[in-house]
Amino acid sequence: MRGFLLNRLSQSLILLLIVSVIGFLVLNLLPGGPLAQFGLDPGMTQDDLDRLKEQLGLNRPLLMQYLDWAWRLLQGDWGHSFRDGAPVLAVIGRHVLATLLLMGTSTAIAIAIGTWIGIRGATHRYSLFDHLATVGAMVALSIPTFWFGLVGIYIFSLQLGWLPAGNMYTIGDGSVLNYLHHLILPSVVLSLVHVAIWSRYMRTATLDAISQDFVKTARAKGLSERRVIMKHVVGNALLPMITLAGVQLPSILTGALVTETVFTWPGMGRLFLDSLGYSDYPVVMGLLMFSAILVILGNLIADIAVAIVDPRIRLG
Amino acid sequence: MTALAANAGPSRWWRSRTVRRFTSHHLALLGVAMITLLTLACVFGPHLLPYDSLYIDLRARFSPPLTGDHYLGTDPLGRDVAARLFMAGRTSLLVAFFAMLLSTLIGTLVGVIAGYRGGWIGAALMRTVDGFLSFPSIFLLLALAAALKPSPAMVTVIVAVTSWMEVARIVEAEVRSLREREFVLAGRMLGLSGAHIMFREILPNAMGPIIVAATLTVAHAILLEAYISFLGYGIQPPLPSWGNMLEGAQQYLDSAPWLAIIPGAAITMAVTSFNFIGDGLRDALDVRDDRV
Amino acid sequence: MTERSNSKSNYSRRDALRLMAIGGAAGLIAPNLLGRPAFAQNPPASPTGRIVVGLSQEPTVFNPLMPHIEVDDAVHFSLFDALFRMDPKGVLQPNLAVEVPSQDNGGISEDGLAWRIRLRDDVRWHDGEPFTAADVKFTLELITNPEFRAWRTAGHSLVRDIKVVSPTELTWRMEEAFAPYLSFLAETFMVPKHILEKEADPNAAAFNQAPVGTGAFKWAQRVAGDHIELVANADYVGEGPYLERLVFKYIPDMTVLYTQFKSGDIDLVDQAFITADHYAEASKLPDRVVMLERGASVESIYLNLEKPQFKDPAVRQALYAAMDRKAILEAIYYGVHTPTETFMPQNSYYYNPNLPAQEFNIERARQILDEAGWVPEADGIRVKDGVRLSFANSTTSGNHLREQTQQFLQQTFAEIGVEMTISNLPAAVMWGDFWLKSQFESAISGVTNVIAGDPDVSNRLHTKAIVAKGGKGSNTGQYSNPEVDALLEKGARTFDREQRRAIYLRVQEIVRQDLPFLPLFAYTNVFGHKEGLEGFEANSNTRVASWHAAVWHWKD
Repeated sequence: MRGFLLNRLSQSLILLLIVSVIGFLVLNLLPGGPLAQFGLDPGMTQDDLDRLKEQLGLNRPLLMQYLDWAWRLLQGDWGHSFRDGAPVLAVIGRHVLATLLLMGTSTAIAIAIGTWIGIRGATHRYSLFDHLATVGAMVALSIPTFWFGLVGIYIFSLQLGWLPAGNMYTIGDGSVLNYLHHLILPSVVLSLVHVAIWSRYMRTATLDAISQDFVKTARAKGLSERRVIMKHVVGNALLPMITLAGVQLPSILTGALVTETVFTWPGMGRLFLDSLGYSDYPVVMGLLMFSAILVILGNLIADIAVAIVDPRIRLG
Repeated sequence: MTALAANAGPSRWWRSRTVRRFTSHHLALLGVAMITLLTLACVFGPHLLPYDSLYIDLRARFSPPLTGDHYLGTDPLGRDVAARLFMAGRTSLLVAFFAMLLSTLIGTLVGVIAGYRGGWIGAALMRTVDGFLSFPSIFLLLALAAALKPSPAMVTVIVAVTSWMEVARIVEAEVRSLREREFVLAGRMLGLSGAHIMFREILPNAMGPIIVAATLTVAHAILLEAYISFLGYGIQPPLPSWGNMLEGAQQYLDSAPWLAIIPGAAITMAVTSFNFIGDGLRDALDVRDDRV
Repeated sequence: MTERSNSKSNYSRRDALRLMAIGGAAGLIAPNLLGRPAFAQNPPASPTGRIVVGLSQEPTVFNPLMPHIEVDDAVHFSLFDALFRMDPKGVLQPNLAVEVPSQDNGGISEDGLAWRIRLRDDVRWHDGEPFTAADVKFTLELITNPEFRAWRTAGHSLVRDIKVVSPTELTWRMEEAFAPYLSFLAETFMVPKHILEKEADPNAAAFNQAPVGTGAFKWAQRVAGDHIELVANADYVGEGPYLERLVFKYIPDMTVLYTQFKSGDIDLVDQAFITADHYAEASKLPDRVVMLERGASVESIYLNLEKPQFKDPAVRQALYAAMDRKAILEAIYYGVHTPTETFMPQNSYYYNPNLPAQEFNIERARQILDEAGWVPEADGIRVKDGVRLSFANSTTSGNHLREQTQQFLQQTFAEIGVEMTISNLPAAVMWGDFWLKSQFESAISGVTNVIAGDPDVSNRLHTKAIVAKGGKGSNTGQYSNPEVDALLEKGARTFDREQRRAIYLRVQEIVRQDLPFLPLFAYTNVFGHKEGLEGFEANSNTRVASWHAAVWHWKD
C-alpha cells in the first residue's frame, strides 16, 4: 500500500509537471495576450502597452516566466489575477460554491434517478423499460448540452414563463426558494447526461452483482427478491459507483462549463472561459492545475474503490 | 506468414458471426438507417431545393418554416435554412469523419507503441495521454482555434488533436494484453522487426476495439465541431456547419426558435446514429468497453 | 457657433432621431419615448431605494488609475470624482476643482505650459479624511510612477514640477502645450494619498479591492462573478445621492441582459446596452423607458493601407461605393444606428456634417475599378499589376451581427469582382498584435476615436502613431498624410474651441476623401430603464450610462 501511494505520488507529480508545461506553453504561445483587451482603448498608446508588458513580466524569456511561476507555486503562491489583482486562490474560491451547488444538485438528481433506472433495468432485463432506458440514455448522451439548455430556456422561460432564463438568484432576494427556482432548469439540463451515465453504470454493476454466487446463495436461502436486491445486489453495486464518482470528479470544473455559460451561472466553468478570454494567465494556470489535481484525486479514489471491490487487484 | 495462416480461417467465421450479430442489433440498424438517410439528404438535398445555401435575400429574412418554398424557414440573412442544413451536414459530417480518421490514427499509433514497447517509452506516452486528458477539453479546443486559422481542415485537426486520447488508452490496454500471446512470441522468435510485429501481427487482432472506439469518436467529433463553431471559433461563415448555424441562435430564441431547434435536432440525430452503431459494433465484435 | 446653439442643435437632432424611431416602430405609443423626465423633479430628502444596473462584462478593477475597460468606468464614476466632469454637451464642468482652468481665467498660461488648479475646500474622503491638493499631486505622480501599473499615461507624462501651493491650490508645468489634457483630466479620478502612500506595492494594495473615494457612493461589497454593491455617501458635496443603494449586476450575455431588463430584475441597462435587434420589442414594453442616444463609436471597415490591394485609392472608393449601407443598417441593425461619413461622433461640437454622402452604386464601383485598370480574370476576380483584388476580413469571432454584415458584403463585393474571405479571431487574439501591429488585411471594428469628448485623433490618424512602422499609437490602418499630420499637431497645441473646430473639420474632409477606412455607421446606443427612474441622462462623452448616478432617484 505504501509503495502504491509513493508510486502514485511520483506519477502525479510528473502529471502535474506535464500539465503545467503544456498549459503554460499553449497559453503563452497564443497570439494576443492579456493586453489585447486594451487594443481598442482610444487613450492607450503603444508606450503604455509596452510598459504594462514589462511591468507584468511578460517580456521575459518564456522559460524564466515558467520557472518563476513554478517556484512561487511550490512555495504556495499561486500568483495574482491580471484582471483584478486578487490572489488566484481567492478568485477560484469565490466561484467554487456556485459550481458545487449546481453540480451537487444535478449529481443528486442523477444518482437518485440514475440508480433507480439502472437497478430496475437490470432486474427487469430486456423488458420494455430496460430497452427504453437504454435507448434514452444513448439519446441523452447524444444531445449537445448547450442546445438542450437553449431548448429548455425556450420552453420553460420564454414560452411558459415558469423558470428564470439564467442567474443564480435575483438580487435583493437571497431566499432559499429563490435559489431553488433558479437552480431547477440548469441542474435538470446538467443532470440529463449524468442520469444517462449513472443509469448505464448502475445497470452493469447490478447485473454483475446479480450473477455473483452470494446472490444465488441468498436467493437459495429463500430471501425475498426485494431483500436480495436491496441488501446484496445494491450494496455490492454501490462500490463500483464510487469508482464512477471518482472518475467524474474532474467534471466539477468542466462538466458544468457549458451549462454555466448558457445559464449565466457564476461558477468556475464560466470563470475559466472568462479568464481564457482575457488571457488572465495566472487564473487559467491555477484552474488547469486545479483540474489536474482533481483528475489525480479522482483516479486515486477510483483505483482504491476497485481494489476494495476486487481483491484480485492488489495495489502496488 | 504465420499471421496470415492464423487469421485466414477464423477471419471468415469471425466476419459472418459479427455481421449476424450486428444485423440482429435493432438499434444499430436504426442508427445505420438514420445516418444513411441523413447522408443521402446532405448529398442530394441541396440539388433538389430551389435555393442555394449562400443566397442572401434580406427581404425574406426570418421566414418561419413552411413559408413558400422555404420548408425550414430562413435565417437572419434570408438564406434558406433547409439548403444550409444539408450543406452544413456535408461540412460537419466530413469534418467529423476525417477528425475520426486522424484521431484514430494518432491514438492507435501512440497506443500500439506504448503498449508494445512498455517501459519508459510506454510510461512517457501514457503520462502524456493522461496529461492531455486532464486538460478541460475546451481549453485545448479554444487555444488551438485561436492559434490556427480556422479553415475546415484546421477544425478537423483541432477536433482530432483533442480526441485521440481515448483511442490511445483503449489500444494500449488491448496491445498490452496481446503482447505476451503466442503468436507475438512466435513472431519475435522468427526475428521479425518490432514494427512488423506491432502493425502486422498485433494490430489486426486489436481491430475490434479500435473500430468501436472510432465509431464513437465520430459521434464525439460531431459534438465538438458543433461546440467550437457555436462559440464562433470553428467553421467560418459563409460556409455553413451545424455548429455555426447555431451560433447566434440564442439571440433569436424568442423570435425565431427554429434557428436553434433545427440544427440541434440534426446534430442529435447524427450523434445518436453513431452511438447506436457503436453500441451494435461493440456487441457484434465482443468488445469489452468500460466506457458507457 | 456658440455652445448654447450647438447644444440646441444636438437636442433637436436627438429628438428627430427619436421621432424617426417612433415612426419606424408601427403602432408605438409615444409617451414612453418622448416623456423623458424633466430634471429637478422632487428627489427624496434622504437617500432611499435601490437601483440595479446591468452590465454585460464584469467590473474587476477598482483602482481607477489601473488598466480597465468600459464597465469598470461605471463603478469609478460613482465611487470617485475627477477634477472636472465632461457634461453631455461636451462642456467641462468643475467637479473637485472650483473652476475649469483656461487661458481666459488665467488657469493656463498663454503658451499653454503653466497650469494652476483651484480645489474645493469642503470635500472629504469616504473615511472622513479631508481631500487636498496633496491628493491631486499624489494621484498625478502615481500615474507616472514606473513601478505602478498605470492605465493611460498620455498627457500625464508631460506634467512636470507639481507644486502644492495650499491645500486648495496646486500648479504644474507642461513639457509641451497639450490641449486634450483638460479632457483627459475629466477621466482621471483622484485617489487618496493617506491610504495609498502607506502601501509598499500600489499594484497589490488592499485599496484596489475595497476602494475609498470622494464620490456619491461608498464601497459596500462585491460578490465576484455576480455583482457589486455601493451605498450612499451621506457627506457627498455635490448633488445627490438620492439612492440608498446602487448595485452593478454582471450578466455575461446580451440576450439575458435584455431578458432581465424585460423581467424587471435590473432597473437600468448599461454597457453594452440593449442590442439593436431587441429595440423594437423593448420600446413596446410597458413601464419601461427605452431611448436611442447617439454614441461615440463608429463602426468601420479598416483597411491595412500597406497591403498592395488597398494602396490604390480607386479600390477604396470602389469598395465604399459597393457597400449597401442602407440594407445593412436597416436589416441587420434594425435601423437603430445612423450612417456617417466620419470618425467624429455626431454629437460632438467638432463633427463635420457637410461631407459628401456615400451612395450605394454597383455600376459606379465597377466603373471606378475598370478605369483604374483592374481587370477581371477568368475566375471573375480583378487583377492589376499582378495584384489580385482579394483580401481577408477579420473581426471578433462570435459577434454574429458583424458576421452577418461580413457575409452580406462578401456577396456584393463579389459582384464587382472583389473577393473577400472571412477570417475571424477570438477577441484576445484579434485586438492584440494582430490589430495593433497591423497584421490584418481588413477588419471590422467599432472604434471610439475621441477621449472624453476631446477631438484630438492623433493616436488614430497621425503617421507617428503607426506601430508597425515604429510609431507609438494605434493608427492600425497605417494611414499617412502629411497635411493631416500637420493639422493634428496644430490642433493638439490649440486651446481655443473655435480655432480647434476649424482644424478638425478640415481633417475630416481630407480623411473622407482619402478613405483610409470605410465607415459603416455611427453607433446609437439603446438605453433603457424602468419608468419612475428619474434623473437619468445619457452622455456620449463617457463610455457608460452610469456616469452620474448621484442624481438618479425613484419617483415617489
